[in-house]
Amino acid sequence: MSFKIENVSYKYSADTPQILKNINMEIREAEVTAIVGPSGCGKSTLVSILSGVIPTLMNKGELSGSFQAGEEVMISVVSQTPENQLFGYGVEDALAFGVENMGLASDEIHERVESVLDLLHIQHLRKRAVSTLSGGQRQAVCIASVLAMRPNLVIMDEPVSSLDPQGKHLIQSVLNQLRATGQTTVIVDNNLDWFSGIVDHVVGIDNGEVVFDGSRDEFFAKFDVQHQLGVIIPQEVEIYRELSKRIKGLQPFSTLDEAYDALHDRFEKPEAAAALDPSEEHAENVLEVTDLSKSFQDGFQALNHIDAGFEKGKIISILGQNGSGKTTLVKHLNGLYRPTEGRVAYLGAETSDKSVAEISRDIILVFQHPEHMLFEENVYQELTFCARAQGVPFSEEEALSVLEKYDLLKDKEELPVNLSMGKKHLLTILSVLFSSANVIILDEPTLGMDLHLRNQLEGIIKHLKDKGKTVILISHEIPLVFKLSDELLVLDHASKLEEGSVQQLADNEALFEKIHIDLPPVVRLSKKLGFKTLACDAERFADAIAAGIKNDGFTGGASNG
Amino acid sequence: MGDFLQYVELNSFLHRLDPRTKFVFFIIMSVLTSFVKSGVALLFLFLVFLAIWLIGRIGKYMLVLANKVKVLLLFIFLLWLVLGAFTINEGPTIYRAAFTIFSNHYVFSLDWFDFYKGAVYALRIFLMISAFYTVILTTNFSQIILGLQSWRVPYAVAFGVGLVFQIIPMIVQEFATIMEAQKSRGLEVDKCSAFAKMKNYVIISLPLLFRVLSKGHAISLAMHYYKLNFKVKRTSYKMIKATYSDALFASVTVIATVLTIILQINYYIQI
Repeated sequence: MSFKIENVSYKYSADTPQILKNINMEIREAEVTAIVGPSGCGKSTLVSILSGVIPTLMNKGELSGSFQAGEEVMISVVSQTPENQLFGYGVEDALAFGVENMGLASDEIHERVESVLDLLHIQHLRKRAVSTLSGGQRQAVCIASVLAMRPNLVIMDEPVSSLDPQGKHLIQSVLNQLRATGQTTVIVDNNLDWFSGIVDHVVGIDNGEVVFDGSRDEFFAKFDVQHQLGVIIPQEVEIYRELSKRIKGLQPFSTLDEAYDALHDRFEKPEAAAALDPSEEHAENVLEVTDLSKSFQDGFQALNHIDAGFEKGKIISILGQNGSGKTTLVKHLNGLYRPTEGRVAYLGAETSDKSVAEISRDIILVFQHPEHMLFEENVYQELTFCARAQGVPFSEEEALSVLEKYDLLKDKEELPVNLSMGKKHLLTILSVLFSSANVIILDEPTLGMDLHLRNQLEGIIKHLKDKGKTVILISHEIPLVFKLSDELLVLDHASKLEEGSVQQLADNEALFEKIHIDLPPVVRLSKKLGFKTLACDAERFADAIAAGIKNDGFTGGASNG
Repeated sequence: MGDFLQYVELNSFLHRLDPRTKFVFFIIMSVLTSFVKSGVALLFLFLVFLAIWLIGRIGKYMLVLANKVKVLLLFIFLLWLVLGAFTINEGPTIYRAAFTIFSNHYVFSLDWFDFYKGAVYALRIFLMISAFYTVILTTNFSQIILGLQSWRVPYAVAFGVGLVFQIIPMIVQEFATIMEAQKSRGLEVDKCSAFAKMKNYVIISLPLLFRVLSKGHAISLAMHYYKLNFKVKRTSYKMIKATYSDALFASVTVIATVLTIILQINYYIQI
């Protein structure tokens, strides 16, 4: 069945601003609808209305308009944190929980549990404890538990935001299965990159209003709307967007093969190669780990004889699947963990006799979840926390200008936990600007960020690099990693596989196959087109192509968007 | 820390028992340790527990528990030792002296019996805690819910109890992560005075509170998504059934109880 949302408006209380303004949209049967929009645009409120949380659980607000969902209609939600959603110790317990609540007969429950295990190909997980599953497996079980209730509509709220590439692949295949069965699905996520292949219909919301309602291909052609909504699009579409600014009449593409077909015979390879020549200068190591091993009390070997150097003024990304040892390694760098064997040295001096707080004056780690870090009473205090804790002088004027630059000045007196997830994360990263640390470690810094915030984050990282600081990045956003990084350190099952420049390692396809990480489309395309020096982001790729394009009258820019 | 106060995934005799059998064990042992004050009887009970832990392959987790409660046990031991030192007991004395404070006369008499008394009280408390912990280590929260339901405990109560055991490890983990995050950004909790350390722990409690509230909110939303309604009769995917092993374990519990009571009657020394 289809779902029609007509003239829906909402505000949380009489004296708060309108969150949703006259929303009209349709969720079509057997289609995958994407709801996109920047942080704070009203997406989550709309999910609450669709799922009945508003007004069943939250009934203080003012809701108007209509959304046809009777008692017999089952709408269920898959949240971004399955550990908060799964009830039950074992996978079977968790799968049966919702069906048990429906009061179905025992044989019907068994039939439904079996059918979702088969549908999502997760029979092998049935006897496992939920706590032992990987992030992707846990999310797959969460989706299965919802599907067992046979909902008319499944809403997924950023279902892969905290998953590694393998977890994302698993959820992508689960969604492909769902689509094949004709399940009506809504995915609320501002990152269209990972599910662009299955989405049929896109609804864009900004400032509480629908600003786009159309097909996926129509959305990909609307560059201005993508920008307005801060949507992260597939890199292939980004490449087309950048190229179309430089090349007139370019055939639109949204896949790698289409891009190759559109470009391969119009492009002079040698010139393009000459256009890209990134510097491979080496600087001194500011931080070094030597023969680092870590075994935990239960005997688990988390790191196995790691040797690595982190150069001054470089951006170094640590790549690997969950459980490869990335977080354990960085927790050794800032002293949270002490090695079983080996040493960590900052500017040649071992750090083992210093407390974590003392090390933070030189090496600071920003955690993945900002809520673990925020505790000050307002945004201003939070911004300056590191400076005050480390005794670093700062001026109020300086702090206010940072808040203004990153659009946080109006929230200066706000309780930090009340900010959107993306802004909370940005704030914890900004507080590092006031620290004395020369090495900044960012663990999954893009969590909860839309494109606008992500662009700001890129600016901050580049600013830190320009100031001569070393930035160590852990991120599952592979295109971002390739765009920003100078060096890569690749870990797999607690061991170091490789360390080197992005250019060197990008050539080693076997390495990325081994760690089950796909190279970004822009790298794969530049390889396919025969670039001698690979382009790592869409802009540089487009520059190289524009420089090497055959003089056939196509240069000069396009008119899309 | 990670394994403390939570179920341990193993396939032992103890793990495979019906949760109700383990609940009965916990209830009987709690009552027994509440009134048994004979050192010999408690020592016997301790040996029974030890055998159960070894068969259940949870010995090392009980050592972790002993390590966590050692300060409490030491406090109880010393408390009864000091209180006993102001009572004159029969039997060998280690040190005895009389003294006067503000015209009141006191006798300080440290006897071997005071050590016995301290040890008895510490052992009782340890066995009480261990009985509970043995059940927690070997029964996951889904089994706890099933067991309570089969005893006709209302589902809302059974679910609440199960939820507590699901959430406790999450909160323990959250606390550890928040502590790490705050240390990482410069909050000194290692090299500082006890007062500063205490103040910093209070600071850490704020993000923990927000995280717990946020988890509570997420869990209440999830209950809504799964149509959980305590007024509606639920059905069950799994059934629990007592087996021969349960009968065997129940027999051991009963025999151990009877023997403990006999030892208590025969070897009880007034304390």
